Amino acid sequence: MFGRSAALLVRELTTDDHHLRRFNYDLFDKVISEIQEHFQQVTTIMEKMQGENEDGQISSADENYNGALIHHQSILRNKRCLLAYMYHRANRLQRLRWQLGAVLPEDVKELLHPSEKEFVKSYSEALSSYMTKLDIDLAVDITPPKDPYIQVRVLNNIGEVLLGDQSTSLVRNSIHFVKRSEAETLISQGLLEEFTG
Amino acid sequence: MDSANGSEEDALWGNDDDGGQWSHQDLPNDVEVLKRIWRNEKSAPEILGYETLLVERVREQIALMEENLAAYAESLDDVMLSLFEMDVNRLMFLLRAYLRVRLSKIEKFALHIMRTAELWDRLSAQEQEYAQKFVDVLSKHMHDSVLGKLEKAYDSMVKQAASSEENDMIVEPQLDTYVFCRSKTAVGSFQLDDKGDETVDLMPNDLYILRYRPVRGLLGTDSIELV
Repeated sequence: MFGRSAALLVRELTTDDHHLRRFNYDLFDKVISEIQEHFQQVTTIMEKMQGENEDGQISSADENYNGALIHHQSILRNKRCLLAYMYHRANRLQRLRWQLGAVLPEDVKELLHPSEKEFVKSYSEALSSYMTKLDIDLAVDITPPKDPYIQVRVLNNIGEVLLGDQSTSLVRNSIHFVKRSEAETLISQGLLEEFTG
Repeated sequence: MDSANGSEEDALWGNDDDGGQWSHQDLPNDVEVLKRIWRNEKSAPEILGYETLLVERVREQIALMEENLAAYAESLDDVMLSLFEMDVNRLMFLLRAYLRVRLSKIEKFALHIMRTAELWDRLSAQEQEYAQKFVDVLSKHMHDSVLGKLEKAYDSMVKQAASSEENDMIVEPQLDTYVFCRSKTAVGSFQLDDKGDETVDLMPNDLYILRYRPVRGLLGTDSIELV
């Protein structure tokens, strides 16, 4: 059925909201080749119609007209589905950039289309350049601050980190009292967790 | 709000010899204004005008507060110090949240904003630069992945096909969505549609749920605020 593969591709986005899936090359390429087939069909039908009418005009009364229209509409639909697929994945990547910082972890990178990797890189550069111009880091302070200081537990050995004016050694499972704004990036990267015990 | 207000408050903060300027009432009014502007921006479906002067004043104020904080770090006890720090952080949060919510709208409606001069003028210079870059990055991504593989008649990001009469793939904000708003002044009887069939009496301080499109003008004249 026309447009089914494209619909499947889009449906993949709705199955799990937060996780980025591996880029579906098979389905993606299938939709692309479907579009090419439709285009062939449209071209053939149009040529036929033009050949049949002496003045080269195409009229909607022609019996082939509806056939061409369906192929044309299928191309549009497939195109929109492909763009929707890419766009929603791009939005998720944008969110990840906010959460995880400029460098994406390797396991996320593995899931991406080459063009998506390029996109994240350029997006991140554009965002960084905006924040540098304003001299404000917008990626911190996502939730309204309650206490300027929080207790955090270290989940992974990080080593020496500059917190505030002094260098602190973050050893696994140790608990620290730090500025929220400084801890936030580390928390979103999964290196620290807020300690509420 | 007027800028005279901000500079007067700045003076209060700068004039720190007697140490009495730390009380709550000295908190400049710009904070309240920023809070309202941020809430408006958050609730409005379209992008609103960038508050250049307000942002400038708030940033100056933050810098001043941080300076003062550093200067008083020795003489104040820890509780007071952390309270003042909290104050600075809250203001920073407001400013960041304001800029962030604008960025997210810019990203979502970048193409629409760029083709509409009125909206384009609402962005700050940096935001305009960002919007331009974002559109470049996004369209490159779309061309490299999808559009480049399509036939010429179908390879536009803003048109479904070359035969489309207008750019029919640009996302626009839904201006007919409903918003919660509070009337700040007695606007009186206000017309909600063209025909005048539907009117609402806007009383000061009352809450309403109205369609955004008819009341957007009131937002500009500061007669209502979104909540």
